[in-house]
Amino acid sequence: MFEVIDGGPQTTVQDLGRPGYLHTGMPPSGAFDSFSLRVANLLVGNNPGGRYLVGRDPGDAGLEILLLRCKLRATADHVIAVTGGDLSPTLDGDPLPMWQTVRVRAGSVIAFPKPRLGVRAYLAVAGGIDVPTFLGSRATNLRAAVGGIEGRGLKAGDQIRIGEPACLLSQLEGRAWPEAARPAFGVPWTLRVVLGPQDHLFTPESVETFLTVDWKLSPISDRMGCRYIGPKLEFLPRPDYLVEQAGSDPSNIVDDGTPLGGIQVPSGLEPIVMGADMPSFGGYAKIATVISSDIGIVGQGMPGEVVRFRAVEVAEAEEIGLAQDGLIAESTVVFGR
Amino acid sequence: MIYDRPIYRPLGDMFVDVEFGDELHLALNFRVLGLNLSLAERPVPGVTETVPSNRALMIAYDSSIVRQAALIDALREREEEATKLRRAPSRVVTIPVWYNDPWSDECAKAHGAPNNMEYLAEINNTTVEGVIAAHSGSEWWVTSVGFQPGTYQALPLDSTFSISAPKYPRPRQWTPERILCQAGKITSFYPVRSPGGYQLLGRTPVDLYDPLQRNEVFRESPVLPVTGERHRYVPIGEAEYHEIRRQVEQSEYRYDIQEGEYSLDDYLARLEAVQAGVA
Repeated sequence: MFEVIDGGPQTTVQDLGRPGYLHTGMPPSGAFDSFSLRVANLLVGNNPGGRYLVGRDPGDAGLEILLLRCKLRATADHVIAVTGGDLSPTLDGDPLPMWQTVRVRAGSVIAFPKPRLGVRAYLAVAGGIDVPTFLGSRATNLRAAVGGIEGRGLKAGDQIRIGEPACLLSQLEGRAWPEAARPAFGVPWTLRVVLGPQDHLFTPESVETFLTVDWKLSPISDRMGCRYIGPKLEFLPRPDYLVEQAGSDPSNIVDDGTPLGGIQVPSGLEPIVMGADMPSFGGYAKIATVISSDIGIVGQGMPGEVVRFRAVEVAEAEEIGLAQDGLIAESTVVFGR
Repeated sequence: MIYDRPIYRPLGDMFVDVEFGDELHLALNFRVLGLNLSLAERPVPGVTETVPSNRALMIAYDSSIVRQAALIDALREREEEATKLRRAPSRVVTIPVWYNDPWSDECAKAHGAPNNMEYLAEINNTTVEGVIAAHSGSEWWVTSVGFQPGTYQALPLDSTFSISAPKYPRPRQWTPERILCQAGKITSFYPVRSPGGYQLLGRTPVDLYDPLQRNEVFRESPVLPVTGERHRYVPIGEAEYHEIRRQVEQSEYRYDIQEGEYSLDDYLARLEAVQAGVA
């Protein structure tokens, strides 16, 4: 078991979410940086689950830790792995190595004092976090107040139950994730996108602007969506019936489905990339969609940091996504230090 | 505009949109439902879920099973089938509504807006009773479900429905849960306390979203509305509101849901007659 000493600004139980309910408006939720959670689970011998959103296996649940301050005490011996954003994690005050298994003893304190690179760390523990499922998943959705621990973030005093590990803890020692197989974290962040579905509603100059300027992540960003500050994007003139039916703002469309990674641009200001707790449809033109492999990167930026959008074709995005998914395999794990 | 043939738009490498047009029209929603039914009856391998909306079907797919290019080829073969849907299975859900309720009034005033029903009456040259009669006098067609769990959009099936509602110039910071609302001629719903800019019509005592899935209607899904169903809104008063709410909270309430189907051609014939009458 873990005891929460400090939940920090937002520590949530996450697995790979609850796909299959988008048609009801229920967002998938799950780890924003799903690749990092899957690696952490794989390292500690848990079920890493299928591909985010399109795989039907949510895998085991871990913790998504935002930004800083989170502090946990182990009340029994466990094997953990911490991946994702570097929040300078410590174990009993000493640096805790990331991307590898770490043995923690009963009474040990794991802390995440401050972000160094990235803002979301993932902690997996052998046996997985044991909370009830909602619609097949343990993922927390704060807005709908479902999943995880009472649909909320962790707070001091919470006791977090851990499931039964699949193997002896001693068998998990020394497992690590090679540097070459980790996500490309670094400022400026680069997000690869496929243009569409409504890039044709923007002026060609604005599409060009979108793909070439440096954007800055806005502090008004969360698991629903991340906003980017930069120049205003302009729209082409619209027929009158759309002004009447879709709305008076040139960015309005008759509502359609919003994909994960979809980039809405309300009024041409501050593009918003849809995250794991996204609304499932909306009435604003979407200039492009962040590709599956880079959704996790969206969730790692710090407000104020520079982000660039780069266009790729669908077929290339599929190759990149499949290659990343292919890394989640026992054969990628390395042993020893 | 209703396109002759749908346009396939990429949404990254996990989704593709099949867009049948760019406007709000029941005929478009029928095409969306036609394709959705076709995919439910004879699934295309690799398709993991579908999201019908007003005018497009968003399709999630697993690229390890089917690539987008091949998926689009498979979907093209369903285009004709989609446009052939003339009668759709469509249940009727009856929803009691306390129109012009005190919570809506309080919410409007808290945001510096006039009573929304009085405002709609004024700009549509009628009375509050006239707005209620018009709104509860039409059946409504749910064209899409989503945004947040339990939110939906519905079009009036009565082609003479003429009440029009502008959105708030500045969206509200909050709206109480279970409020029915309107923008343009679309009816929508706030299942939980939310920000929003639609005009507030009234409040229903019944849950259309229940994460606890207490009532049997929520057994399959915590969200009741489904795309392609019809709603009838029945005006109720204060006493009835509180009695029904009590039943809902004690899981005793019996939802009034009738199975049925709906004909697009009948709708189009009535629409044409109304338009001819106007012209």
